[in-house]
Amino acid sequence: MQDAENVAAPEAAEQRAEPGQQQEQQPAAEPPPGEEPPRPGGPGAQEAASGEDAAAEVEAGPGPDVPAEPAAGREEAAGAAPGSSPPPPEESLAPVPAAGEQPGGAAEDGGADEPSFSDPEDFVDDVSEEELLGDILKDRPQEADGIDSVIVVDNVPQVGPDRLEKLKNVIHKIFSKFGKITNDFYPEEDGKTKGYIFLEYASPAHAVDAVKNADGYKLDKQHTFRVNLFTDFDKYMTISDEWDIPEKQPFKDLGNLRYWLEEAECRDQYSVIFESGDRTSIFWNDVKDPVSIEERARWTETYVRWSPKGTYLATFHQRGIALWGGEKFKQIQRFSHQGVQLIDFSPCERYLVTFSPLMDTQDDPQAIIIWDILTGQKKRGFHCESSAHWPIFKWSHDGKFFARMTLDTLSIYETPSMGLLDKKSLKISGIKDFSWSPGGNIIAFWVPEDKDIPARVTLMQLPTRQEIRVRNLFNVVDCKLHWQKNGDYLCVKVDRTPKGTQGVVTNFEIFRMREKQVPVDVVEMKETIIAFAWEPNGSKFAVLHGEAPRISVSFYHVKSNGKIELIKMFDKQQANTIFWSPQGQFVVLAGLRSMNGALAFVDTSDCTVMNIAEHYMASDVEWDPTGRYVVTSVSWWSHKVDNAYWLWTFQGRLLQKNNKDRFCQLLWRPRPPTLLSQEQIKQIKKDLKKYSKIFEQKDRLSQSKASKELVERRRTMMEDFRKYRKMAQELYMEQKNERLELRGGVDTDELDSNVDDWEEETIEFFVTEEIIPLGNQE
Amino acid sequence: MKPILLQGHERSITQIKYNREGDLLFTVAKDPIVNVWYSVNGERLGTYMGHTGAVWCVDADWDTKHVLTGSADNSCRLWDCETGKQLALLKTNSAVRTCGFDFGGNIIMFSTDKQMGYQCFVSFFDLRDPSQIDNNEPYMKIPCNDSKITSAVWGPLGECIIAGHEGGELNQYSAKRSQPGAESALCHRGAGMYSRPRVNGASSRKRKTFHRQKEQHMQRHSVKSSGEVLVNVKEHSRQINDIQLSRDMTMFVTASKDNTAKLFDSTTLEHQKTFRTERPVNSAALSPNYDHVVLGGGQEAMDVTTTSTRIGKFEARFFHLAFEEEFGRVKGHFGPINSVAFHPDGKSYSSGGEDGYVRIHYFDPQYFEFEFEA
Repeated sequence: MQDAENVAAPEAAEQRAEPGQQQEQQPAAEPPPGEEPPRPGGPGAQEAASGEDAAAEVEAGPGPDVPAEPAAGREEAAGAAPGSSPPPPEESLAPVPAAGEQPGGAAEDGGADEPSFSDPEDFVDDVSEEELLGDILKDRPQEADGIDSVIVVDNVPQVGPDRLEKLKNVIHKIFSKFGKITNDFYPEEDGKTKGYIFLEYASPAHAVDAVKNADGYKLDKQHTFRVNLFTDFDKYMTISDEWDIPEKQPFKDLGNLRYWLEEAECRDQYSVIFESGDRTSIFWNDVKDPVSIEERARWTETYVRWSPKGTYLATFHQRGIALWGGEKFKQIQRFSHQGVQLIDFSPCERYLVTFSPLMDTQDDPQAIIIWDILTGQKKRGFHCESSAHWPIFKWSHDGKFFARMTLDTLSIYETPSMGLLDKKSLKISGIKDFSWSPGGNIIAFWVPEDKDIPARVTLMQLPTRQEIRVRNLFNVVDCKLHWQKNGDYLCVKVDRTPKGTQGVVTNFEIFRMREKQVPVDVVEMKETIIAFAWEPNGSKFAVLHGEAPRISVSFYHVKSNGKIELIKMFDKQQANTIFWSPQGQFVVLAGLRSMNGALAFVDTSDCTVMNIAEHYMASDVEWDPTGRYVVTSVSWWSHKVDNAYWLWTFQGRLLQKNNKDRFCQLLWRPRPPTLLSQEQIKQIKKDLKKYSKIFEQKDRLSQSKASKELVERRRTMMEDFRKYRKMAQELYMEQKNERLELRGGVDTDELDSNVDDWEEETIEFFVTEEIIPLGNQE
Repeated sequence: MKPILLQGHERSITQIKYNREGDLLFTVAKDPIVNVWYSVNGERLGTYMGHTGAVWCVDADWDTKHVLTGSADNSCRLWDCETGKQLALLKTNSAVRTCGFDFGGNIIMFSTDKQMGYQCFVSFFDLRDPSQIDNNEPYMKIPCNDSKITSAVWGPLGECIIAGHEGGELNQYSAKRSQPGAESALCHRGAGMYSRPRVNGASSRKRKTFHRQKEQHMQRHSVKSSGEVLVNVKEHSRQINDIQLSRDMTMFVTASKDNTAKLFDSTTLEHQKTFRTERPVNSAALSPNYDHVVLGGGQEAMDVTTTSTRIGKFEARFFHLAFEEEFGRVKGHFGPINSVAFHPDGKSYSSGGEDGYVRIHYFDPQYFEFEFEA
């Protein structure tokens, strides 16, 4: 950059001078006849003024036709330079020592006797500076030299001369960390420093470093440094007071972000992280073999997340989050958040919440940031005071509200303003947990017992804040809120210690949300509860209960009249987790990790166990979004050997075992909610027979095709191998003589080729006899 | 069929090998015992006593006169197969990892470990020149500076050796005699005599001499510098645990810690086939009469304690050579399989495991009937 400026025409040099020194524009703008060629301006000139300027001015000064407007600005700049105004000698007393040393000093005394060196009035200076002394100009100081290395520090303590030395020491100590300080300046006023200082570093990089690191440095309670680059001041100065209409951004065509839904075979996609996180792949799920769509090395630094409707794939990086999508998985958006660890999408895919433990400062909350996904803009930052569970902010189902809980308060914010709803938080003393309904803007929260006041579960409508249902509970140890996926039911799992009994009893308080007054029914269980899960889109729920070897699973049905009926109980289950199919009806009971990966596939419509299987040491179970397939996997994150993912049908038929080196994680790409109406879905279910015929035929076709392909592949492999073997055998036959020679004429090519030499040996076979009595002999 | 269980070792098996005819099975382990068994019934024929440390390798020459063993007691020993007498003791600076007779049975090769500050070397002795054994002076010594040799076999016709390295490389070293001087030094061709070397004052013992009569051939070629790397390939990413030639020696199979076994051409070292598993492969053997290969391996010994036998997957696995597809498994060992070997008639195979057992398995009729649909 600077080089380019050096060789540029003088105009460039003048323009460069402009921003720094506003007053010095005249000579450049319209060089008045007789004016000396413009000198390199800029702040550097200030320092040089006493020397060079003085001399130059002196030369020009005495001329009779010196224009009357010898730059008022320069007067200031050059201080009391002798030539600034044709003065009586007495007045220019101050600069005399300087001027006197100059050869031009004589001119002052000589006055009119001297020949005029000034240009005639009509002289046009057509010799450029570059031409005249280009070689010297090359080395002239640049404005950028030095100034880039200067920083301004504000909020420095104001001290008198007695403590200045001490202050300088302190400042030096803090700021020499970033590089060598070559110069400092402490402006003073009335014997005290002004509270801001200038420091110059040896290089601009140091200055940038200092700004980055020392800005916000807390010297003591009153003094927090604000550090800026000197060059930035200019930037801040020129900010217009008027608001400009932002330029319209050109439309960026990102292609069809939902292209994967149009796939002819209606296959689903999933992401796989393997090689301990070094590689990430996207596959089409196919009954035969997964079909790779995209594979990248170091796509993410930790793990990936799909957005709730599957539009974006989020990757994690030290410096922030990147979103990918479209057919080629191009980068769609980036969110810079140093050290980001956790993210959460709003259900509407409009906002992204990111969390980083690194970035928080007192007055600039950046621990949690909410971003607008479409524009990439930061909407709001939050502190993270409590070490609550992620997600700290919980979104309402439509993304209109989000809420967080802190001590005794529930804060509800609204989008898109990101401000507090009604400008104030809810005061709920003792609030322990809350949860949004997935089917409406209702919040459920619970408060534990406080002396004589019973524990209570409250359902609150938003944004009206109207409490639609309150339920009081006694002897409560703990509560867990479980919403059914459509928001039709809420189950509050209440652990209680009723008076007069030993141990904990669990009550399932079932709230029927769709009915008037929200009636509640209770199921009580005395056994330890291991897991609870609602059937998505249904009215059944499953409970795992019991102690380690005697674990049972119970399926309950909430009937339309409100009665809760136990449909079926299976005992002796090896399971610790319940995975419902996203469509309901089917469920996988899995004994993950310590339970060795036992799997039970259950159809809850008639409560039959369709299959019992095992994926040894499985750590995860993931249903595909359509409920057709389920994947079990052993992640390298939890277990170091046999990392693989297995694909099963919903009935529990094993389709594929995919071993991947250091496999970490598989995530299905979610699908957005269906656009079909309830009637259409019903119609499809009615016509299922018709469709299944078509699908079965398709399956048969592809199956026979597959086996044909396999046979074909084997055939070519065999052919190639035979060809190779033929060549090798020819070579082998050629070497027959050499072999004979090496073994003294004995042919050993065949095992029995030298039978004549064999010796007979007699060997015995050991037969042990053991008498085992048959049957029961009493 | 029920396998024959051979219990002759107190420690994990390191290598098992049939002789050419297949009537004998040699087994060595991490104890100092070298066992020889009748393969047909599992009767122990005898032992070769003398080693004082773990024995890493064993080989028999083509007519089963001699047996060669290499041990971590820093020695390589030559035995009379029939009598069990120790014929030669070759002291080394570090453990002997691999050893072998050449095609003619006249030249022995062994490689030593890189340990205790010593390099990895491959040493070559000509048994027809007793002075080499007497002075413990190999006629050729190839240093391997980069990555130590973890498995090695003689190439076809004894013109080269094929060595697998710790880093997964395969090298073909020329074993051709280079110096014409060395050749002429062998004055008594044919009836070479050699004696037990004198070690630690043991020379006062009775001298055992014997004749080697079966052949009188010298290496015919004397070209190029010996020990030269003829071919170098790197198809494995981790240590090569085992190399075994096919019956006709035109190809060989490697077993690697990188969970694969691979098939190569012996002359060109061209990679032909890959057999994948989920566990380190310790050993692989080719069937003499079918296009089959058997792989033995399992979770590494040091990790086994943390896993159950179920997860260890200590099964012998059978693959089709051309299709690279697995078609059978044999369970039985309760530790990793360290060595597998096919009987030369292809009707049985044996495996030696970390559990210290050797199992001889005779194939069921279904094995011979099985065919892939192709």
